[in-house]
Amino acid sequence: MTTSSTLSGAAAVIGIGHTDWKGDHARVRAGMKPHDSYGYAAQAFNVALADAGIDRSEIDGLIVGPTTAYERVGEVLGLDVRWGGQADAMTAVMEAVLAIAGGMAEVVALVYGNDQRSAGTNYGGTNAQGGGAFLSYVYHAPWGFTSQGALYAMMARRYMAERGISEAELGEVAVAQRLHASRNPHALMQKPIRIEDYLASAYICEPLHLFDYCLINDGGVAMIVAEAGRAKRIGRKPVPIRGIGRYDLNRGATSLEPRLLDYYHSAQSRVAAQVFDMAGLGPEDMDAAQIYDSFSLHIPLALEGYGYCAVGDAGRFMRENGISLAKGLPVNTSGGHLSESYMQGWNHQIEAVRQCRGEAGARQVPDCRHVHYSSDVAGKAVSIIYGA
Amino acid sequence: MANAERVLTLYDLPMWEAVERGKMALQKCAACSAFRYPPGPACPQCLSLDHVWEEISGRGRILSWVVFHRQYFDDFPPPYNAIAVKLEEGPIVVSNLVGEEPEGSWINRPVDITYRRHLDRTQHAFKLSGSAAGR
Repeated sequence: MTTSSTLSGAAAVIGIGHTDWKGDHARVRAGMKPHDSYGYAAQAFNVALADAGIDRSEIDGLIVGPTTAYERVGEVLGLDVRWGGQADAMTAVMEAVLAIAGGMAEVVALVYGNDQRSAGTNYGGTNAQGGGAFLSYVYHAPWGFTSQGALYAMMARRYMAERGISEAELGEVAVAQRLHASRNPHALMQKPIRIEDYLASAYICEPLHLFDYCLINDGGVAMIVAEAGRAKRIGRKPVPIRGIGRYDLNRGATSLEPRLLDYYHSAQSRVAAQVFDMAGLGPEDMDAAQIYDSFSLHIPLALEGYGYCAVGDAGRFMRENGISLAKGLPVNTSGGHLSESYMQGWNHQIEAVRQCRGEAGARQVPDCRHVHYSSDVAGKAVSIIYGA
Repeated sequence: MANAERVLTLYDLPMWEAVERGKMALQKCAACSAFRYPPGPACPQCLSLDHVWEEISGRGRILSWVVFHRQYFDDFPPPYNAIAVKLEEGPIVVSNLVGEEPEGSWINRPVDITYRRHLDRTQHAFKLSGSAAGR
């Protein structure tokens, strides 16, 4: 495999923003509808623009999240651009880097808004969200097998049996992330939990407990990504993107083969080689990891997939080495999807940037230089390395 | 809420017709003999568009299982199980285990296909090999 080192450091994040997740969640639960997806996107964009300290006229690229129409976001934000598209969080960052490195744009706005809670979006049952893109989300419904949580529960049962991981060890994920959320004023769930609380919580789809599942809330996130030289001139504290990598497992996806027979390891190990080579860094250089966590299971899979621990050692690693700000490798320092906010990978990006800037407040990782982002949504492994 | 519905593409229909007769069949590639699931237009192994429908043996092993404690469909009140079965022919199918449930881990338990009426259709389920027929 060849990688392009010209991409490393070609672009940097110069602005980040998000909506008032906590306040909006309380309003939605009280029956209000603060915004729709476009409104949240616009709010987050304004914050990111102010954070970058640039004028809107400097933006010449726009990538929007999968929950909003590209043209309409551009219309709402008054942005005519020379590069654009629609992508999920991780692919959006990759596309921004590629567009910038290819000379197609210099300052790209990445904008996401989602009113999933107030709109009553279903991730299981009839019309399960994502079924149009991923057949496995809907194909097994005749047997009652539905929801992305069930897909990960099926995977977790076999993975935990094969690797000898206990429920208490998997519970380390929820406990660590809640600790992080307790230090994050923007997190929805700030009350610390213990392993005993985790084990006592209800099963949703057994073997996964309530605390293994992500939140569902409204909100928005935005980032401004700029060409490296331009970022230095106009940015306040640019955070370079040092590496990007991707590998997609599509074969056997609906019949769950990559989940149940590989645990996505083959994809993540390929991406590890690409992204660490590109960055000229290794897992030992990472000061924190942000791992897409629609479910807790993503964390051990990534720890093994990216070489933070040996295959089969994730249970012990999480328990003994630790995955929290208190001990070991800090994973999902904001609380992640489980405890901060479910922004489908977008909140992980801005948390990585905050940590690299040293602006994470009570949850700041000391001397944080490099942060690794990873996701494996439906076997599509993506990695991004942020940092100096 | 609503009842759970099937995905019925052009390629799924013959499979469900076979299930209705109590003889679950899958496409077998006419060129390389690989079975595939879900049904589809081409063989993922060799890309041949030619296939025959062949009744499966009905034998397999449980790869993994879950128990739902939350209701997602009117016709599936919890708790109920779902299993992933590695068929003798190769593909993995998701189904339900009916009848006797194993003590301890279900993983690797041999199972045999069975059929049951569900609303207005027949669908497959599995039972532990050697156990009495499912409900």
